[in-house]
Parts: sequence; structure tokens; C-alpha cells
Amino acid sequence: MEGKGYEANLEERSPMLEAKELLVFYENMIALNNVSIKCEKGEIVGVFGSNSAGKSTLMYTLSGIILDIKFKEEMRGGERISVFGKILFNGCEISSMKPHERARLGIILCPERRRIFPESSVLENLLIGAFLSRKERKENLDYVLNLFPRLKDHLKRQGGFLSGGEQQMLAIGRALMANPKLLLLDEPLLGLSPYYQEIVINGITQIRETKKIGIIVTEQYARPLMPIIDYGYILENGSSVLSGTKEELMDNPDVKSAYFGV
Amino acid sequence: MEQLRKERVDRSLKVRTEGLYAISSIEEILYLIGPRLLFVAGILLLPLIFEAAPYWKRVVNVMCAYALVAISFDFLSNFVGLVCLGGALFTGVGGYFTAIYNRYFSFPIYLSIPLATLSGALFCTLVLLPALPLRGVYFAIITLMYPLLFSRIIEALNVLGGTNGITGIESFPDPYIEHYAIILPMLFFLFATRRFVNEDIGLVFRGVKDNDQAVRASGINVTLIKVYAVFIASLMGCFSGAYIAHMYMWAGLSLFALDFSVIPIASTVIGGGGTLIGPVIGSFILVPLSEILRAAGTLRIVIYCVVLTLFIILKSEGLMIYLQRKYHQFERWVKV
Repeated sequence: MEGKGYEANLEERSPMLEAKELLVFYENMIALNNVSIKCEKGEIVGVFGSNSAGKSTLMYTLSGIILDIKFKEEMRGGERISVFGKILFNGCEISSMKPHERARLGIILCPERRRIFPESSVLENLLIGAFLSRKERKENLDYVLNLFPRLKDHLKRQGGFLSGGEQQMLAIGRALMANPKLLLLDEPLLGLSPYYQEIVINGITQIRETKKIGIIVTEQYARPLMPIIDYGYILENGSSVLSGTKEELMDNPDVKSAYFGV
Repeated sequence: MEQLRKERVDRSLKVRTEGLYAISSIEEILYLIGPRLLFVAGILLLPLIFEAAPYWKRVVNVMCAYALVAISFDFLSNFVGLVCLGGALFTGVGGYFTAIYNRYFSFPIYLSIPLATLSGALFCTLVLLPALPLRGVYFAIITLMYPLLFSRIIEALNVLGGTNGITGIESFPDPYIEHYAIILPMLFFLFATRRFVNEDIGLVFRGVKDNDQAVRASGINVTLIKVYAVFIASLMGCFSGAYIAHMYMWAGLSLFALDFSVIPIASTVIGGGGTLIGPVIGSFILVPLSEILRAAGTLRIVIYCVVLTLFIILKSEGLMIYLQRKYHQFERWVKV
């Protein structure tokens, strides 16, 4: 199922992000089993899978949050998390880097369930996101507000009082304020109505077109995102069972039944 | 390249003892009750072991009194989610109540301690009531302030003996009664709370800690649940305070001292929160340690702090959680 043309393309230049043979154990349970994933500059990579497929773990591993969870679990005597594998970002090995160091390199995670700061206003939320790129914060702010004009009306409102859709826009906006080179979106459509899903998806496409950054997006239901991705992976129980370009995935009968509801 | 991962596996003995079949062999029965038996027997024998050192026999009593306050802290913070910074409130209230009953109403000791425990717990629950519907730091702050408040009231109004305290409280008739008057209730409360948190209402308590909105949505009055929990915790604290008052034959402002708030918390950290036995072990380490350090004079607190900090850095999970893991599981390297 590997896309041959895509593989050939990759050999010419090394990809922006390349994760090789990621293995993550939560105690003795394997959460990611030999997952390799690549993301190019200006490319949207979709990662699809049902619950417990390992999507969030993959995002935590790429963004480094897993190391933080691991440390906290160790301190309180909980589960032991073991992480193996290599993550290369622009050719540099980053697998042992802390999450904040990875964020400085430009790998920004927009976490699942949004995790906005509920007691700060929308504007403050965005400015917190801009902490790493204070010089460009004016342009970035304009950019985000252009991307999601709805946020403009609520700049002074507390983040926690926004609707779910607006909170998602805010979360993506906050991630964008940090000037990402690689944007990790963990289930950005979670709990959104079709109307808001469309706004968010349009936003993601626009980001790709204007910023030319790499975007990795995870989702359970592939249909709304499929049109905009360049390359997709399908995770099942921690292993990557299929990967291919949009067309290849859409032609696969298993994928059709499992992720499109056809 | 070969990668190795350390794997934790349950001991076969543990797996075998999980079902009813546990009673099929002596080995398995021992595996289950051995540690408990050892712990209970060890504590019961403590006064006899220290027969040769009369000073340390007193320390055993103090140890158990602190352990009881520590259990109440662990119960409140790790099972109900209420961080109580005021163990001193419970001990102080219990101590003064028993002093009032014993001195002013001339109740005998076997009446004044239970009465003080019950009425003291009721009193503590009442004064803490305003903070219970709220979530967040309010409960912690109010429990921290009350001991100060009460000791200042007693000092300023010169009631209940003022700064001198209430003296001449009846002492225990016999040193062995004195020992077992704290050891037995301590063991009782320890195993009772351990059982209690696994009963139905205990599950609700833990639910309140994790997500009180979900508990409310299940049709349960969260404030009432918290009232029960605070009452149970203050029972333990007040008993401990009443006991100390009778042991020293004196109820003074030092019953409201910060020690009774801080040492139980530190014991819980060292012993491992959420195990209930951990705090007991923690106070069995900390109280003797602080007695030994008396020789160091002012440096006592410094050494004490260093020990605590080291514990938090090196074994922040707590002794008990570490021991439990080692007892039930073993580790081995496996290829990834």
C-alpha cells in the first residue's frame, strides 16, 4: 500500500519531521508499536484511528509531552512509561528533548480537548501562546483573527465561557501564535457541529497555504478531513496498518467501511 | 540495535491469591495476611520492646497520636480531595473538650475521652461547614486559620486557663492502659478507614475527589458527603488530641501548635499518600527522628527539612507505595 511516488520523492530531500519506529509502553501495555511517520513542509498529514489506536500517544510522543507524563508518573510511583525510537526534526535527533525545547524548535501541539486557559480572556490566551515569538506577535495576532474572525468579537471574554467551536478556534489560534514550523493538531474536530468543522477545516487549509508549515492532524472519523490531507496513516491498536496518499486510502475498501461509514 | 525495557510483572503468588482459592494453602494465606499481621503485632509489642527505655515509651504514645492525625489527613486529602492543613484544629479542640469535661464537669477519663471525641468532631465539622460547599483552596485556608484563631481567642479572653492552659487533668491509671489506649484505637481507625474507603460510600468519597460535578449529576449531595468525611476525620484528630491532653495531664495552647498540622502532612508524604498505612509508617519515622534531633538544638528543624526534601526528591511516591510494589511485583529486563 506504500505510495511509490511519494517514497521516491522523500529520498531526494530529508523530510522536516521523521519519526522512526516509535515504541511506547504504558507499563506492559503497548500503546505505539513500531510507528513511523513523516511530515514534509507545507504538507498536511492525517492520522486516523479509532479510540485506543494510539493517536494521542503519537501526538504526545512527537511533542515530547510523553516525557513529562513519564516523569510525573515516576515521581508518584504510578505506571512506568517507556519510549523508544527516533524522532528527527530537520535532520536533528530530538527524541530526548523536553517538550519546551521542542516547542522552541517550532513543534507546537494543539492538544486534544483544547486545554485553553479558561480563566484568561481570549486575547490573553493568544498572547500566552505568543510567548516564544514576541517580536512577530502583532502580525501573528492579525493573522489568527483573520483566520477565525469569530474570535474578534470575543477578545475580552473569558476563554472558559466560549462555545466548544470557538474554544477550538482559540486553541488552534494559540498554537499559531507560537510561529510553528510543525503544527500538531490532536482531534481538532472533537465535538464540533458540521458547520464548525467546516470552519476549522477551512482554517487548516488556509494555514497550509499561507504559512507553508507542516501539519499533522489526528481524527477518528476520516471523511471531513480526507479532502485536505496529502498523506494519511491509519493506526489500529498502536500499529500503523496502512498509509498512503489520499487517493490510495480512499480506494481501499477496508478504509472505506471503517473510517468513512460507507 | 537491541533495546531493553524493564518490565514489571505481578508475582505468581499475588495472582494466585486474588481469587477465593487464596485459602487453599498456608503459603498463600501468609502472603495475604503476613504483612498485616507483622504490622499489627509489631505495633502491639512496641511498649514491651521499649520496656527498658521509659522515655521512649512516651514517644511510642506520641507517635501513635500523630499517626492517627496523619491517617485523618490522608483520608481527607487522598480520598475526599479536601486538603486539610489544620490537624492542630482537631487535636486542639479534642484536647480542650476533654479538659473541660474532666476538670469542670468531673467526668472520669473513660467518659471524657469518648465524649470529647464525639462532641469535638461535631464542633469541628460545624466550624468547617462554611468551606465545604466550595472547591479549591478555601478549605485548606480555613483549616489553617482556625487553630490560630482559637488559640488567640483563649489567649486574649483568658478563658479556659488562658496561656497557662488547663492543668490537673486526670491521667491514665496505668502505663499499659496509657499505651494501649492509643495503640488499639489507632489500629481500629486505621483498618476501619481502610475498609470504609472501599465500601459504597467510600467510592462516592473518591468520586467527590475526582469530579464533584459528576457526583452531583448522580443525584448525591456533595456537601453532605463532605460533612460525613470531615466528621470522620475529626473523630480521629479529636481522639488524638483528647488522648494527648490526658497523657500530659494538661491542655494548653500547644495543642493548637503548627506541629500537629505539619508533621502529619510530612508523614503522609514520606509514607505514601492514599495508602492509609503509609502515614502511620511515616509518623513512626518522623516523630522518633524529631526526638533524636532534639540533641541538635536549633539545627533540629534544619536537619528535619533536609530529610524531608531528600525524601521528596528521591522517593516522592512514598515508602508504602514503593514497598507494596516490591512485594507484589518483580521486575525483569525484556527485549523490546
